[in-house]
Amino acid sequence: MSNCTHEKLDISGLDAWFGDKQALKGVSLKIKPKTVTAIIGPSGCGKSTFIRCINRMHELTPGNRVSGVLLLDGVDIYKGMDSMDVRRKVGMVFQKPNPFPNMSVMDNVVAGLKLIGAAGKKELEAVAEANLKAVGLWKEVEGDLKKSGASLSGGQQQRLCIARALAMRPEIMLMDEPTSALDPASTAKIEDLVKTLKAETTVIIITHNVQQAARISDMTAFFYLGELIEYGETRTIFESPKSPLTERYITGRFG
Amino acid sequence: MMANEPEYIGKINSEIRAMLKIVEGLGVVVQDALERKRKGTKGAAYAASVNIQHMEEEVTALCVGSLIRYQPFASDLRAITVALKVSYDMSRICRYLYNITEVLEEFDLDGCNVAGASELLKDALSMVSTSLTAYFDKNRSLASEIIERDHSIDERYRMILSAQRRSQSTSGDCILLNGLTARIIERLADHACYISSETTYLVTGRRVGYR
Repeated sequence: MSNCTHEKLDISGLDAWFGDKQALKGVSLKIKPKTVTAIIGPSGCGKSTFIRCINRMHELTPGNRVSGVLLLDGVDIYKGMDSMDVRRKVGMVFQKPNPFPNMSVMDNVVAGLKLIGAAGKKELEAVAEANLKAVGLWKEVEGDLKKSGASLSGGQQQRLCIARALAMRPEIMLMDEPTSALDPASTAKIEDLVKTLKAETTVIIITHNVQQAARISDMTAFFYLGELIEYGETRTIFESPKSPLTERYITGRFG
Repeated sequence: MMANEPEYIGKINSEIRAMLKIVEGLGVVVQDALERKRKGTKGAAYAASVNIQHMEEEVTALCVGSLIRYQPFASDLRAITVALKVSYDMSRICRYLYNITEVLEEFDLDGCNVAGASELLKDALSMVSTSLTAYFDKNRSLASEIIERDHSIDERYRMILSAQRRSQSTSGDCILLNGLTARIIERLADHACYISSETTYLVTGRRVGYR
């Protein structure tokens, strides 16, 4: 850590635009290391934009803009870091599993490491095994490491994608509705995995399933129309939210 | 902000309203029996108490079913946790009313002055009814008033005890009748306060630490 801060992420006054349309309005929040933070809110409230600002993916689309301060371990990721360094430190898992279809299970896991030429064959095999074990997939694919990643089931593919992200040893893992396309059993495995991930990583997860947010997160942030309406301990948010908007959203009155 | 209440909470509360009706009905019977020092109400009180226990089980089943089916949060979640406790309190209140009829059955009531205990019961039963009104109406200030009234009940309970202790002419049966009845009523009023405390939590989301 470069500064005397207890926050993994310290975000203040974050604004984001798609061209002229403002998607985030002055979002400020602090996220502690090795915690799980759930981002909830109705469709179009800015959840995905918010996490895409954290790994500097938002700026990839021409016309998109970001302003405000986003400190990762005290360093401004927009001023003091290269975007590729940011993405190495901040992994991301998407709604739909997206294994590289032309790669084997093993190659999928170590694709990022290979790309940066970070390790030799033996080391890559060890990294693949360790990360497949970390996501609870090793026993299921041990004999099929050479098979295509696309041959796995949806739940296995999502865990493969998480293993791929973990292989880069990210400090923060962003998850954008990682279980929305999965069956209940696969969802349960991913949720268990999220809870174990926080031993090493700071997890920020978007979910439309408020019950899931309540199950797996330490902190919850509720967004509405691009604004952060309420942020606090998950138990407090789900038992006694301060904002009437949060109350109405989590009780299913709107959204 | 409390938006429209879900149907399942309405069902749970209608069961609690039915419990209140039974408790209030039994309260009238027990009040009359105490004032008139009348025996013979124990059987009916026991039947009411058993009935209320079954209703409490029904409320529990409705609450658990709603938790599983709807996985509620915030005010809806609090409504369910509070309903579980309120139905238990109602069951305890009914049991205490039955206990008073047991005491009336046990002792010789002739010549015994029960005016103090009788007044105490009247107030305690009024607290029960009001606490339920506060609960159904989500009326925080009314709930707070009930909790305040408990001091008066406690004080008068102690006065009844000391009056019995000082009395030279009162029979042993009368001392026991007054002492036991007053103690039961004091506990009964506590449950009205518990209900009020739960109502405060239901409305504000914060516990006032009265239980």
